Amino acid sequence: MSVSDHIHTLEIRNLTVRKGGVEILSGIDADLRCGEVTALVGPNGAGKTTLLLAILGQVPYTGEIRFCRAEEHGQGAPRIGYVPQHLPLDPDAPITVLDFFALSSQRRPVFLGASRRTREAARESLERAGVAHLLQRPLGRLSGGELQRVLFALALRDAPDILLLDEPVSGVDVAGEELFCDFLSKIQRDSRFSLLLVSHDLSVVTRHADQVICLNRRLVCSGATTEVLTPENLAAMYGTDAHLFRHTHADGHGHLHDDGGK
Amino acid sequence: MESILSGVFALMDRLLPFAFAEPAFMKRALLALLLTAPAAAALGVPLVQHRMAFFSDAIGHSAFTGVALGVLLGVSPSWTMVAFGVLVAVAITLVKGRTELSSDTVIGVFFSTVVALGIAIISREKGLTRNLQAFLYGDPLAVTDADLLWMAALFLLVSAYLAFLYNRILLLGIHEGFARTKGVRPPVVEISFALVVALVVTAAIHTVGILLVTALLVIPAAAARNVARRAASALWISVGVAVLSGFAGIAASWYLDTATGATVVLAAAACFAVTAMYRVVRPRE
Repeated sequence: MSVSDHIHTLEIRNLTVRKGGVEILSGIDADLRCGEVTALVGPNGAGKTTLLLAILGQVPYTGEIRFCRAEEHGQGAPRIGYVPQHLPLDPDAPITVLDFFALSSQRRPVFLGASRRTREAARESLERAGVAHLLQRPLGRLSGGELQRVLFALALRDAPDILLLDEPVSGVDVAGEELFCDFLSKIQRDSRFSLLLVSHDLSVVTRHADQVICLNRRLVCSGATTEVLTPENLAAMYGTDAHLFRHTHADGHGHLHDDGGK
Repeated sequence: MESILSGVFALMDRLLPFAFAEPAFMKRALLALLLTAPAAAALGVPLVQHRMAFFSDAIGHSAFTGVALGVLLGVSPSWTMVAFGVLVAVAITLVKGRTELSSDTVIGVFFSTVVALGIAIISREKGLTRNLQAFLYGDPLAVTDADLLWMAALFLLVSAYLAFLYNRILLLGIHEGFARTKGVRPPVVEISFALVVALVVTAAIHTVGILLVTALLVIPAAAARNVARRAASALWISVGVAVLSGFAGIAASWYLDTATGATVVLAAAACFAVTAMYRVVRPRE
């Protein structure tokens, strides 16, 4: 981290989401820093997915979500990539990996075939993800790890400024976890993406995330991973979401804290 | 228009030197099937992908009420059928998007309400039953030139619609949230798709009737799913099955003296059986 140290790609201010008269998220303040990995953790029903949807502009909200773009990254609105957790496809669906690339990028209807550009871009990005052999495979028959690689490849192809990953390592084998690490180090190297990942898996969070945002309908705490999720806290609380955020601190801690949420 | 049709008929005489294709009413029937069945089969592929077979069935049955309303109001039942079908399709789509109920529950409610309304009207107007017969079972031999013109226009409309929106329709079926990030607007896609399905279903009723119209959307697409692995081949196989069963069905009905619409559907079912068998015996990857 060098020049981009202080650049925020995403600033969330006083974000509130209501659904059916209930506040699902209230008064969230958070920042995503350029080129960093930020983890979003919290118990089930904490509003993690809702926050992703708000950033994607798919649920109405009050408050502000500002996208900032460093000049060296070009002009225009930032591209937001989104990697869903899984695709609820039946195994018989006549849609191949190449079709999936074509559907999400080309104007020509897929029944007239994939364009040369689609084909080349798909092959190239699948190669980068180490899964060039999956190009013609049916999408519904991929294993969890294979599907994850395909989704990453698709996300990489569009060179997003911000990438949102929903549970990137759930139901994935060791190889998938390795890919995830490669993927993260690539991002760190390029320092072009900011990554926001939702995760239940705290070992992943502690190993890979620079920043953590703890949610439980409101902001519980946020800050550098090492400060927010200390090894002692994790050892004591791993796996029991309810206690995850109840950490003691004397003073001088480098993260935001909201006692009103407890 | 007369001259266009006679030109088409002359061409058919050259291409199809068969006894069954000789009479003008058989040519009209064949044209009607070749215009509506492939359009229905093409729409059927995303329809099956989205698990909407029941939806097309509901639209088909709403035509029953549409016809009854037309006769009751003294308007051409062909047009009230289209208007009412479109109305029900859009209503189902809008309600579906605004409740927590599952889509087949919403469709079930509309389906039975609409059919009940139709029966209520018919039971009051005794003379209606005769009119309904043609719509219930379909009669491609009674297709008029005006019907053909509408079917041709619809064929072009469906082709243009699918060329423009097919990718977005399929992507929406894979993952809604992901599709949105690719610029797909679900309400626009869902409502336009429901509308086009309603137009094609009500047109296809002229050929195979209310009771069988869903078959034209579902069976070719299901047969295609048995053998296709890619999105492109799924669509073309489905359209191919529709064209093949249109020809085979109309020829067979001529020689066997059976109802044309039903024979066409049986031919499509035979295609499904063949593809299903292929699926069983083909080597697994």
